[in-house]
Amino acid sequence: MIWGTIIAAYLFLAGLSAGAYLTSSYVARKYPEAKAVRITGRIISPVLMAIGLLLLILDAEAGLKHPLRFIYLFTNFNSVMTIGTYFISFFMLAAAYTALMEILKKETNKYVEYAGMLFAVATAIYTGFLIGVVAAVPIWNTAILPILFVVSAMSTGIAGTMLVASFYDSKAVHRMLGVKKIHLGLLSAEVFLIFTMFLVTSYSNESAAESVATLVSGEYSTIFWIGLILVGLVLPIAVESFELYNDKKMKETEAGIMMAAAGQGGIAGTLVTESSVLVGGFILRFLLLAAAVPVPFL
Amino acid sequence: MARYGMMIDTRKCVGCYACRVSCQMQNELPVEESFIHFYEKETGVFPNVKNEIIPVQCQHCEDAPCVSVCPTKATYTTEDGIVLVDEDKCIGCKYCMVACTYGARTQSHKTGVVEKCRFCAELVKEGKQPACVSTCISNARIFGDLDDPNSDVSKAIVKYNAKPLRPDLGKSKIYYVR
Repeated sequence: MIWGTIIAAYLFLAGLSAGAYLTSSYVARKYPEAKAVRITGRIISPVLMAIGLLLLILDAEAGLKHPLRFIYLFTNFNSVMTIGTYFISFFMLAAAYTALMEILKKETNKYVEYAGMLFAVATAIYTGFLIGVVAAVPIWNTAILPILFVVSAMSTGIAGTMLVASFYDSKAVHRMLGVKKIHLGLLSAEVFLIFTMFLVTSYSNESAAESVATLVSGEYSTIFWIGLILVGLVLPIAVESFELYNDKKMKETEAGIMMAAAGQGGIAGTLVTESSVLVGGFILRFLLLAAAVPVPFL
Repeated sequence: MARYGMMIDTRKCVGCYACRVSCQMQNELPVEESFIHFYEKETGVFPNVKNEIIPVQCQHCEDAPCVSVCPTKATYTTEDGIVLVDEDKCIGCKYCMVACTYGARTQSHKTGVVEKCRFCAELVKEGKQPACVSTCISNARIFGDLDDPNSDVSKAIVKYNAKPLRPDLGKSKIYYVR
């Protein structure tokens, strides 16, 4: 593995950070009363991105020894990494500003926030394009991979925000059914995208087929099926569906309505779902880096 | 301006590793790092089998993916078509290693800079041959200007119908007789 665990963690954190920013922007508009969720999203976003960037710097050994060389990162516009450096820089500026305004309890300039949202999306897409343009690795070189990364970024963003926010305001987290529905949709889409990608690429290319084989039945099959599919996707899909179903039922009985009004229900469900989504998000990126089979050249 | 390239006749290669060692000497590489990798490939069905020894190094592609992905422009192509790495610009992000079709790049343990075959650019400038070519015991390697139809390399490529490893994947400039 040329790019290993560190880069997987960076790709994961960049997506998570972008997703958290978008989650907080959405919640700020749709659920203005859920302050804890909004504040959480806005504060964890630049922090997670910063951790990701630190990991990236640690992995770039020659740059670590000569930090001034990182300035050259802005020079090659043919490179997806250069474009991504711009995206992340702008996103980081906007996210840090938004977090600062939240800490100072001041009004956020809405145009800066719009720019932040735009670059959050760009950052999430970039993490997919970074490896998606590598023609030497067919499993990455598909149009579906950037989409999968964006969907996963949004889903982990929601999960990260909800997980941290549930410690401060468990009731607000429960009340945001809209977010839960979006989350369920994203998780289901992820399952669909993963299997579409695997099926189509393994028919189009031998190296890609080999990559898929190492994931579904080879070296990485245990971590793929248990870590990604079961824990990262099926479990949260089941819990979210159960919660949404329960909520619907609660509104049908009087006792239920009273319970809902009192904001009952522990945070156990939230903790389980959101942590497993985060675990799955990291595993997804790790597996895609690990299962890279290059085209044969001999 | 030349367009430097090479031809490697795998039928002549005995797998002695002399090119690899001379390359390591020329580029002052430690034992565990090298710019030339050896691959073996078996083809055919018994009793008609063929075992090839294929030395692979940077193919100095004209449309090199490493050049386009390098975010710092540390990797560049000279006017003579040699792909080089500017050690003072490389941050060691390894994007080029990921993008290279031929796995031709290695990261220096000492500096973290990603390096590779340089067609011995400084020797070529003096009119000499790259170290791997002058060292080869069986003359399996021929180096020269691909744009000059009278150069040894151009004539040999035509004579032996030498082909790049994967012409479908890019315009690489090392031709192989297999």
